[in-house]
Amino acid sequence: MKPKVFAAFVGPSIFMMLLFIAFPLVSVFWNSFVVTQPVYETVEVENCTAGFLEQTCTTEMETRPVLDESGEIRRQTEFVGFQTYQNVLEMGRFWEAVKDRSWTALQNIDFWKALRFTLMFTLVTLPLVLGVGLAIALVINNASQKIKGPVIFLSLLPFIITPVIGALSINWLFRGDGILTAFLEWWLEQDLALFAQAWTIELMMMFYRVWHVAPFAAIVFYAGLQTVNQDSLESAVIDGASRWQRLRLIVIPHLAPLLIFVAMIHLMDTYRVFEEVVGFRAEGYVISLQWLTYDFLTPDQAGNRSISRASASAMLTMIGIAILLVPLLKRTWRDHKGSH
Amino acid sequence: MTAKALRQPASLRIVSGAFLAFWCLIAAFPIAWIAVMSFKSPVDAFDSNPLNVIFGPATRADGSGWSILEIGLGLAVIWVTARLTVRRAPPLVASYSPGGYVALGWIVAAVLIGLGFVLVFFGLLPLVTDLLNPILGPLGRDIIGATTEHYQTVWIERGFIDNFRNSLIVTTGVVTISLTVGTLAGYGLARSGSTLAFWILIIALIFRSLPHSVLVAGYLPVFINSAEWLAPILGENAPTLYGKPAAVIAVLVAINQPFTIWMLRSFFANIPADLDEAARVDGCSHFKAFRLVIMPVMWPGVITTGLFSFLLAYNDFLVTSLLLDASNQTMVPAIAGMFNRETTTTDQVVAVAAAVSITAPLFLLVMVFQRQIVSGLTAGAVKG
Amino acid sequence: MKLKTILMAGAMSAVASAGAAECAFENEVPLRSLTAGFEAWKAVTDNMAECGNFEANLDQEFREKQPEAFAADPSLYHIGGVANSTMIPLLNAGTIRPLNDLVEEYGQHLSPNQLITVDGDIMAIAMMVNNQHLMYREDILNDLDLEVPTTYDEMLEAAAVIQEADVVEYPLGGTFASGWNLGEEFVNMFLAHGGDFVDDNNMPTINNEMGIASLEKLKAATQYMDPEYLAADSTYVQQQFQQGQIAMANLWASRAGAMDDPEESQVVGKVTMASAPMGPEAPVSSIWWDGIVIASNITDEEAEAAFRVAMEGIDTETVQESPEAAVWLIDGYEPGDLAAGAAATAANGARPYPASSAMGIMHSVLGNGIAPYLNGNKDAETTLADIEAAYMTSAEEAGLVE
Repeated sequence: MKPKVFAAFVGPSIFMMLLFIAFPLVSVFWNSFVVTQPVYETVEVENCTAGFLEQTCTTEMETRPVLDESGEIRRQTEFVGFQTYQNVLEMGRFWEAVKDRSWTALQNIDFWKALRFTLMFTLVTLPLVLGVGLAIALVINNASQKIKGPVIFLSLLPFIITPVIGALSINWLFRGDGILTAFLEWWLEQDLALFAQAWTIELMMMFYRVWHVAPFAAIVFYAGLQTVNQDSLESAVIDGASRWQRLRLIVIPHLAPLLIFVAMIHLMDTYRVFEEVVGFRAEGYVISLQWLTYDFLTPDQAGNRSISRASASAMLTMIGIAILLVPLLKRTWRDHKGSH
Repeated sequence: MTAKALRQPASLRIVSGAFLAFWCLIAAFPIAWIAVMSFKSPVDAFDSNPLNVIFGPATRADGSGWSILEIGLGLAVIWVTARLTVRRAPPLVASYSPGGYVALGWIVAAVLIGLGFVLVFFGLLPLVTDLLNPILGPLGRDIIGATTEHYQTVWIERGFIDNFRNSLIVTTGVVTISLTVGTLAGYGLARSGSTLAFWILIIALIFRSLPHSVLVAGYLPVFINSAEWLAPILGENAPTLYGKPAAVIAVLVAINQPFTIWMLRSFFANIPADLDEAARVDGCSHFKAFRLVIMPVMWPGVITTGLFSFLLAYNDFLVTSLLLDASNQTMVPAIAGMFNRETTTTDQVVAVAAAVSITAPLFLLVMVFQRQIVSGLTAGAVKG
Repeated sequence: MKLKTILMAGAMSAVASAGAAECAFENEVPLRSLTAGFEAWKAVTDNMAECGNFEANLDQEFREKQPEAFAADPSLYHIGGVANSTMIPLLNAGTIRPLNDLVEEYGQHLSPNQLITVDGDIMAIAMMVNNQHLMYREDILNDLDLEVPTTYDEMLEAAAVIQEADVVEYPLGGTFASGWNLGEEFVNMFLAHGGDFVDDNNMPTINNEMGIASLEKLKAATQYMDPEYLAADSTYVQQQFQQGQIAMANLWASRAGAMDDPEESQVVGKVTMASAPMGPEAPVSSIWWDGIVIASNITDEEAEAAFRVAMEGIDTETVQESPEAAVWLIDGYEPGDLAAGAAATAANGARPYPASSAMGIMHSVLGNGIAPYLNGNKDAETTLADIEAAYMTSAEEAGLVE
């Protein structure tokens, strides 16, 4: 394909990605190295605020931004190098904790606490999603033709459900004496408070994620199962291969590209785990990297937000994902070279 | 292969069947349960005794409930709708939609089915049961407490119908544009063996890994002030992009592009290149070859990819909640708006009803498209 | 849902909107407002809409959108709904206008208490106040012969007795959800100890005895609460009350009405309102207000129309239509039993929430930093030191401290 024709085909897509992703990405990159802040002055102000019956007036020193001639806040931008990254990573405290061999101290630093959970969440759910997905795909494939349709339909439900609603449902089902908590209490015959300690919350978050994503893996694998070479299966049967051997030696290698595809998507999405933290109200116990970014970015009531630290933490998240994806990308590169 | 060789031992079949049943239960339970909750009064809905939630004594005490007859008829209507959608709709759509517009035909069909269901279920059914209930004695007596008042609150008082319309606009826009742009790019990438193509894919993948919240927060000031910075180019008519569905559509399309082009690229890569090369030998340009040879065979992959685009646009919260005005909000941020500083228990049940309302169209969609998803994926849309 | 009811509802709402359009004047200027989305704002904006040409945006993301949207020229909204803290960014950026002239012309009926002034300029008109105060199950306290607690310590003692008697699941409720709610709990407690959060140079001043005492009090309270307290927001605590699971809570005044709502509550008439329990210096509470501001980047003509419409929104009619939606400051509001707690808390000297740019940061870092202390991962000194360190990082990035 000639470069010109190629450009015509991919042009619109590239343009949109450049405009709405690459361009903001550049500004994120830039913001992680600079700090932009208003110029403040301190003045004495008399404030009167509403009480229930009467006003309360106080005179106090107040810091407020200086406005320029056009009435806008005067801001100054300063290049700070890696200072913002340092603020996020808190390397000083990190090394201290490492020197003391104190896991607790390490887990009291926001970034490392978030990284610990994010990595664990990603790496624990990955095999579960692949395994459960494959199992579902196999049993659907094994089911009789009649019920396949409804079963696929039911299986897809967790995947299509709106994440916000999924998170809300968790609250409705688990919080306080929610129906599932009540069920667990009846089953285990003890009083449970699932939102009262970190490990139950983490467990529930992982369970939820697997519930939510496994159907996607299942449907992809199921599609893959439809194209398994029947001839090689047959010859395997003739050779006396057991069911398990057939699965291991023929079916799984056939699904390998799909496993990689699902793993890749899953790694990327899970490393950005966020909805679960908010949905399970887990902030008091566990946080994730994406939540940290979001928290930096959310303005407090007085409108302050930490754009620089949010940018730095977003860059760090991207780097993390890139590292996780390297092995998978290498393979894609080989395939790409091989196929042309 | 002989049937005998494939036949599985009974134990395996039982285990496999049991696992499947267990999985289906887990998959469907939360949604089924919130659907049940949405028909109850606040006291029943959040009761910790499951039987109270199902039978809704407090709701029945308030004088609203369903009789056996009503439940039977209701289930019948749902069953018939499901059958119609899965069995009768595909051939009808196939025969009535003009070539190349199958997707459009499906959309029309989905809307018609949805409308028909609402009319029959909420319009015709109550009329019939009102007539029959008094005649039938015990069959016509309320046995389960249930009320549709929360749906009434959601759709009429809270104006959810507007949010529904906005969701429709945004998703339609995103799916159409995303597929148009993505199909071209996917084809181009699949047919180009250049290193550039590879790097475009890799960069797209890295783009996909960007946390969305950072991107979106960057858009907000730019979109709000767009009238100012667009004025030198567009003059007087420079629009404020903030609050415009078109702007949200553009953002969602862009965010979704990486996934779309990956999916479509691998799908096109599985269509033999000989097909369009033959057409090129006959003197067609790349575009003509694409239109004449590829377009007719690409629908399974495009529909599957389109479904993923649909899910993304329909389910999005981050972009829509921040870049749309409250007056043209889509359904998902609207439901989040029901949880505010002064949320009451009633609000929560209303939100449950809203949640079910948001999920219902997805239900319908998967029912209509589930075959296409599987066949699209099978045809290769996901081969690495 | 029966078709009949739908039709009826439709007809009713049509009649209602036709009948209730009682605005003193016909508004000709197209106006838009951006406010939070809770019940009081709904009541107010509904009344504004009666004047015509008005579009209300009740938005959960208003905190994020308001500063940007008001800074645009022309401003995207004319009327804004703010609280004492959310007014700060608008005030700092100069995007809301002084209302002195407009108040003189159209706002003579406003009580001085409603006029929020900064250096003599009226910048906002308050419409309601809110504070946290004690709500308790009168029946339970009577059964156990307990006095109504007036101090926080008495409240904890009462909680111990109630726990002993085992009449409810948990004696205490509290809005201890990690984040803003938990930050607010500490703010209340620290104010009650007479503390100030930052000094004149915006340096933090919480790592001291008062800070430690505040933390310890909060932790003492948690032992009487549902162990899931770190996820308990005010809706959750309200629900616990309604379902009879708790006996006392220091809860928002705006939630009082829900206790007597027969639709949801199983404890109608049993919950009584009292002043927030006293700390060493002041009640464990802070006073908040919500009110209206007008954008500066709009024409004077628009501002005039906007102000008049806003006055229609916060008039006596609104109060009469929704007396329970808030503790109104508006003329014509008669505080009933449910507002008694809010009034007593104010009378006992509860301090206003000390809103400022620095306080915004302080509140966030408090909200994120206290949880490790409550669940035992850090001791009080470390917690406060870490919170101060986090505050310094944020404040330096924001430019508030050198």
